[in-house]
Amino acid sequence: MTNLEKYNKAFIESFNIGKDKLDGLKYQDIIAWDSVGHMQLMTELEEEFNVELDIDDITDFSSYEEGKTILLKYEVNLDI
Amino acid sequence: MNTSKTLCFDIKGIQECQQNRYPQLFIDNITDVVPGKSAKGFKNFTYNEWFFPAHFEGDPNVPGHIQVECLVQTFIMTFLCLEPYKGMKTNFVKMDNVLFKRKIIPGERLEIRAVLDSFKRGMAKGSAESYVGEEIACRADFLITLPDVLESFKPRKK
Repeated sequence: MTNLEKYNKAFIESFNIGKDKLDGLKYQDIIAWDSVGHMQLMTELEEEFNVELDIDDITDFSSYEEGKTILLKYEVNLDI
Repeated sequence: MNTSKTLCFDIKGIQECQQNRYPQLFIDNITDVVPGKSAKGFKNFTYNEWFFPAHFEGDPNVPGHIQVECLVQTFIMTFLCLEPYKGMKTNFVKMDNVLFKRKIIPGERLEIRAVLDSFKRGMAKGSAESYVGEEIACRADFLITLPDVLESFKPRKK
């Protein structure tokens, strides 16, 4: 599984949505991405990529696209 | 905090840790608390309880929702006993694998054993089981949040 597939899987499983909903997805666009869903997504990503996200990165993580940039700081390259 | 120390709470101590109050506070005392890990709770049911005459006349027994409250009120003590979280409000998010195995009647004493599996960023996951003597009465898995803690981790912009 590529890093991008793992990243997508975290969204799909945390929010129970299809892959077609991911592009452009932002916090609170869907009911499932509320404050509780956000924590579930952060936990999924931390477990998937074996990283510990900093509080500032958690609060900056406001969209599907933004998250890709944030994970780069943890040396998680989603192009691989 | 030394998390290897076990703690006990009487009704006053319980009320310092959690916001449930009569008639919604059910547990009588908490023992064997390993902060951040586990806790044991006790509840003595007498016919004096407000719900027995209504549930049911001629067959008084503890309603399922009150059994679940006993479980969760013991469970939240595993983390509400930790100083930064003491007295905070908690919210239910999810309950899974709830099983009721035994009727509980007036005069019986419930022992609740709760285990905290993870506690991170205001989200607590774990489970609790209750017993009358050696017989299991009910069990459930919980996901509980501390909304005041969760608030500080939500995205700043949409």
